[in-house]
Amino acid sequence: MVKGKGLKFFYSAQEEGETPKPALDQLDISVKKGEFLAILGRNGSGKSTLAKHINALLLPSEGTILINGLDSLDEKNVWGIRQSAGMVFQNPDNQIIATLVEEDVAFGPENLGVEPSEIRERVSESLAAVNMSEYKKSAPHNLSGGQKQRVAIAGVLAMKPKCIVLDEPTAMLDPSGRKEVMDTVMRLNKEEGITIVFITHFMEEAAKADRVVVMDEGKIVMEGPPREVFQQPERLRSLGLDAPQATELVIALNKDLEGLGLPLLPPGILDMDEALEAIALRAKASESVESAPVSPSGDSAPALMKAENVTFIYNEGSAFEKKALDDVSLEIKKGEFAGLIGHTGSGKSTLIQHFNALMKPTSGRITLSGEDVNGDKSKLKSVRQRVGLVFQYPEHQLFEMTVFKDVAFGPQSLGLSQSEIKERVSKALAAVGLGEDVYEKSPFDLSGGQKRRAAIAGVLAMQPEILILDEPTAGLDPKGRDEILGQISRMREELNITVILVSHCMEEVAERVDRVIVANKGKIAFQGPPGEVFSHADELAEMGLAVPQPAYLMRRMRQRGFSVPEAVFTVEEAKAAILPLLAAGQGGSN
Amino acid sequence: MIANITIGQYYPADSTVHALDPRLKLLAVLVYIASLFVAKGPANYVIAAICLGAVVAISGVPIKFIVKGIKGILFLMLFTAGLHIFFTTGDTLLFSAWFIKIYLEGVTTALLMGSRLILLVMASSVLTLTTSPLELADALERVLKPFKRIGLPAHEIAMMMTIALRFIPTLIEEMDKIMKAQTARGADFDTGGLVKKAKSLIPLLVPLFISSFRRADDLAMAMEARCYRGDINRTRMNTLKMSRTDFWAMGVLALYLGIIIVVRIFFE
Repeated sequence: MVKGKGLKFFYSAQEEGETPKPALDQLDISVKKGEFLAILGRNGSGKSTLAKHINALLLPSEGTILINGLDSLDEKNVWGIRQSAGMVFQNPDNQIIATLVEEDVAFGPENLGVEPSEIRERVSESLAAVNMSEYKKSAPHNLSGGQKQRVAIAGVLAMKPKCIVLDEPTAMLDPSGRKEVMDTVMRLNKEEGITIVFITHFMEEAAKADRVVVMDEGKIVMEGPPREVFQQPERLRSLGLDAPQATELVIALNKDLEGLGLPLLPPGILDMDEALEAIALRAKASESVESAPVSPSGDSAPALMKAENVTFIYNEGSAFEKKALDDVSLEIKKGEFAGLIGHTGSGKSTLIQHFNALMKPTSGRITLSGEDVNGDKSKLKSVRQRVGLVFQYPEHQLFEMTVFKDVAFGPQSLGLSQSEIKERVSKALAAVGLGEDVYEKSPFDLSGGQKRRAAIAGVLAMQPEILILDEPTAGLDPKGRDEILGQISRMREELNITVILVSHCMEEVAERVDRVIVANKGKIAFQGPPGEVFSHADELAEMGLAVPQPAYLMRRMRQRGFSVPEAVFTVEEAKAAILPLLAAGQGGSN
Repeated sequence: MIANITIGQYYPADSTVHALDPRLKLLAVLVYIASLFVAKGPANYVIAAICLGAVVAISGVPIKFIVKGIKGILFLMLFTAGLHIFFTTGDTLLFSAWFIKIYLEGVTTALLMGSRLILLVMASSVLTLTTSPLELADALERVLKPFKRIGLPAHEIAMMMTIALRFIPTLIEEMDKIMKAQTARGADFDTGGLVKKAKSLIPLLVPLFISSFRRADDLAMAMEARCYRGDINRTRMNTLKMSRTDFWAMGVLALYLGIIIVVRIFFE
């Protein structure tokens, strides 16, 4: 389907005197018809550049690439290539052209000059293939992220492609949106036989592919079926990636089993269900399983912030009225590290905007140290200083000429003295791990992860008592995710502030926070220590939230009659819990 | 609060007026406006008003939506009416005090000019209320097509309109978000003098511009990936076809124009 040989590509904008660095470097690639290929690699490894070569959006500087037998360097092939290899991009908003779903799906075939009656047929077929038929007359801006991506896929399908290239289509979606897209793509591959090239930062998604290609610095550095590629977690980590947690767990277990001289578990495990089967075969079940030990919650630290029966209704009194928060009561304690979890539309974003008085409750009140945040208008500024809110994709609000000036924007608005501002800015930048070398740089010249950290520093410089971060890891690669979360934990300890981490990713939250708060349909569904909250796995699954994978495994093992603790959130802890069982199982059979 | 914004003022309903070919509606409004300029005396205006009223009644759009459009031009209307009342001279003096002299002719002209403006605005309101922006862009592209030969980029104009319509809600949402984010950093968009207010817009506008450029870049790429190359060899899913009702409507329109002209020549 795709055959690239000796591909080399340079982006033209090069600084004077710098030796041009190729984005693709002598790369050979071939994709077979009907294959599902996943491409992994850290940001800047050349994945997107490669994807754009498959669609003839970029042409190789050296080497050639044949798509469906057509050479992309031959100008007359361009339209044929783009028709046979469709492309879906990362940002769902920026690839929908028309104001109606069906008009947008029709855009491709219209450009190809297809007869109107046939376009109509193709549009309804394509929308049916992605389960979006009932939305054909909707306006794109009223759809969810997952729905928009499915429309984008339908738009490509309507061109009758042989191959679809998806460039991080799930990066900006929540778990349910990710699943929608993934299921759609899998179905198209299996049922329609469409070749799929899928770029992603999520290892669990890549694990579903037939073959995985790992890129770094414009080259392919690893290649093979996922079971083989993910067997090398250290290698992957050095490339800024990681392996699925199940794979890592089995590898860690095997390492210790080897040390104990015990037989190993089968290699090549990709998900927790496979791991469960492998472990269950060998581990020793205990006769009695005591009920889940629930650690006591509720300590006596004073509440710093309190939501009292807060209800918020969007567009009250109009046809679009929607209850976003429904009688929410919640306490945030001083010095606490809380995780707020919920999928899109659960009300979590609305709630945090109430915390610093960006939104005003329809009824109920929010208090900070006992005082109503909306009580005195002249104190709004001080409320917003005390409760720092970092929005999603905070790097999108950078605007100044230099990093220093941008971070100084907050303190300046507080009317502080120059020396005080300077001190706060340096402190804030140091707290996010940015050194003096970036002070005078333009924020727009920083790397993705650095930009985000600079933006977080912009809020930190206000020296808030409570720092709220909304999805701070959205859109980052695995290494970037780890870095930013580590930075937040360090920052919390150094600055001794209360932190609320908002996320839809359980793994991210579970191992770090003291308390998990689960929002669902405008209400607080659960709150308490992670172990307690994750014991409601079934209810959480119903809300479209999954428990962390190690916790999932422990739960399933308990159901099978193995005695393992429930409050386990990391691979390391899971290993410690399972190893004795495996050792005992082995001892018993000997 | 901004998620459900409506663009333009389209009032969705299932009426004959809504169902008419948008090209015909565009033409009808142009003809109607022309007829208002042909019109001279009260009889003409009464006919024009009755006809517009009939169309409004058929369209099912509540009258308050149509009247809303007039509010915007209220000042202009009063101003022109004032000019006519005070500065038109004629034979019949109605009122005279100090240097102010008001003639009957002035009052009639003011009234007629006022009616002309009101009818004009109401007619275009009926068009935008009964035709979705998408249909309008479509109609415009097709109506302007013949002018392509003299270098008018009809397709490009329509495409720009469509994309603008598509992205206005997205950008408004984005603006709302940036505004909140900067407010959380202590920005103040509400108080202060003109200079301070203008300055406070920088933290809002710079990110908004940057994001718009990024979106434009992405969108161009996405359009190219879907084989877009202007209107070369391009077809449309929705073809506009004149229906029987459209031909009837055209007949009515011609009749209306005829009556206006006849009345103007023989009765005014």
